[in-house]
Amino acid sequence: MLGCIWQYVYTSYLRYWLKWLIRQATGTCELQRICSGYNPGATRTSKAEYSLQSSKNKVLRGALEASKDDLEKCVDQIMKEKNIKPEKDPQFRGRLHVCLLQITGYSSLFSSVEDLRKEVFSSECPQHEAMLLKLWGLLMPSVELESRITKQWGDIGFQGDDPKTDFRGMGLLGLTNLLFFSETYPEEARQVLSHANHPKLGYSYAIVGINLTEMAYSLLRSGALKPHFYNSVQSAPELRDFHLLYCYLAYEFDRFWVAEEPESIMLFNQYRERFHSIVKTRLQDPAVSLTLAPH
Amino acid sequence: MEGLLSILRRLKQPPECEVRLLLLGLDNAGKTTLLKQLAAEDISHITPTQGFNIKSVQSSGFKLNVWDIGGQRKIRPYWRNYFENTDVLIYVIDSSDRKRFEETSLELAELLEEEKLAAVPLLVFANKQDLMTASPASELAESLNLHTIRDRMWQVQACSALTAEGVQDGMTWVCRNIKFRKR
Repeated sequence: MLGCIWQYVYTSYLRYWLKWLIRQATGTCELQRICSGYNPGATRTSKAEYSLQSSKNKVLRGALEASKDDLEKCVDQIMKEKNIKPEKDPQFRGRLHVCLLQITGYSSLFSSVEDLRKEVFSSECPQHEAMLLKLWGLLMPSVELESRITKQWGDIGFQGDDPKTDFRGMGLLGLTNLLFFSETYPEEARQVLSHANHPKLGYSYAIVGINLTEMAYSLLRSGALKPHFYNSVQSAPELRDFHLLYCYLAYEFDRFWVAEEPESIMLFNQYRERFHSIVKTRLQDPAVSLTLAPH
Repeated sequence: MEGLLSILRRLKQPPECEVRLLLLGLDNAGKTTLLKQLAAEDISHITPTQGFNIKSVQSSGFKLNVWDIGGQRKIRPYWRNYFENTDVLIYVIDSSDRKRFEETSLELAELLEEEKLAAVPLLVFANKQDLMTASPASELAESLNLHTIRDRMWQVQACSALTAEGVQDGMTWVCRNIKFRKR
């Protein structure tokens, strides 16, 4: 209760006056202090994001919704509004620009990911079909697919004779992630597949992959991936960066599963939850950067 | 005095009945969507079930513990690990997937032979009725030879786990036909 009152008083009054006082004393505004006082990455960008969000000034808050091409103009407007002289703080413009690219880029990344997820896999679409066949070729280079509908799909961890019903709520996002992993890290992907096909410790490679796409998607949606992208991409994150994060999850989940030696595949959801917690803990670290590092 | 009253009241009210429901069926039948629909959860991000899901749902004074077991061929051998103490078996079928009626019929027939599921009431959900290509529940019942079942209560219920239509009707039947096991 007391905490709530303090929070309210602080955010609505005290923070404002405190900022004013420091501004008078140091001659710099909060954004300047953030951009010069913290190293580039999650710490700086998250603080800049908070500062812009809680600003009473429309120009500052508006910058969070601006499109990528307008951001330079937004920075100029903010500097004008806050009376920041480029001669006195020559680094500021570039630094704030990067922060804004990262912050607004995160939201547009989510829209691109959402669009791809909503695209339903269709057997009538030659492009979708080609992706599916390419996935087979990359994972099973020495085995010919006998026909489009075949039990062989089970060998790369789909459930039935036709993978099309396995993408479900993850749509084309699930397939794109699977394909990207095999294309970008062919050796690692095949290594993970060979673990997945272990007679005792195995799991279904493709549908576990689709489950991990869901994990990546929900982490992105909740905002939990912000520190990761703010640290790893010093610009607006792209779809490719999301696929790279999926590769990290697919590779790390496999390592976790093999190390834990679960009793059976039926325990998948328990281990998935534990892995999820581990990833969330890693994301608490302000220096976090989740990139696949082959072992 | 008040303490005594509340003790008396508690004695009068029977403790909440816990019921174990088992959801089975082929992969892509719609078991997880049905489970999430029962728990009033979002159904737009569903993925194939590796292993199983379990949720507890309150309905007509019962606490329903619903077990949703993955349907892919590879894990069907594990189904039997979940048979024990089942109060009602709910078998879910994709009514639009005619090509697999035979496969689903064989799986169901095998389940009905299981000793641990003997006399357990059976609800068949003829799911995906929202699709134009879905077979009506009566046709499905015929191709699955449901009318030959004599050793238990059974019911076929048309439904769409996506739109929730028919789901409540099925659950009402479940709550009426719970056969309590000896505890």
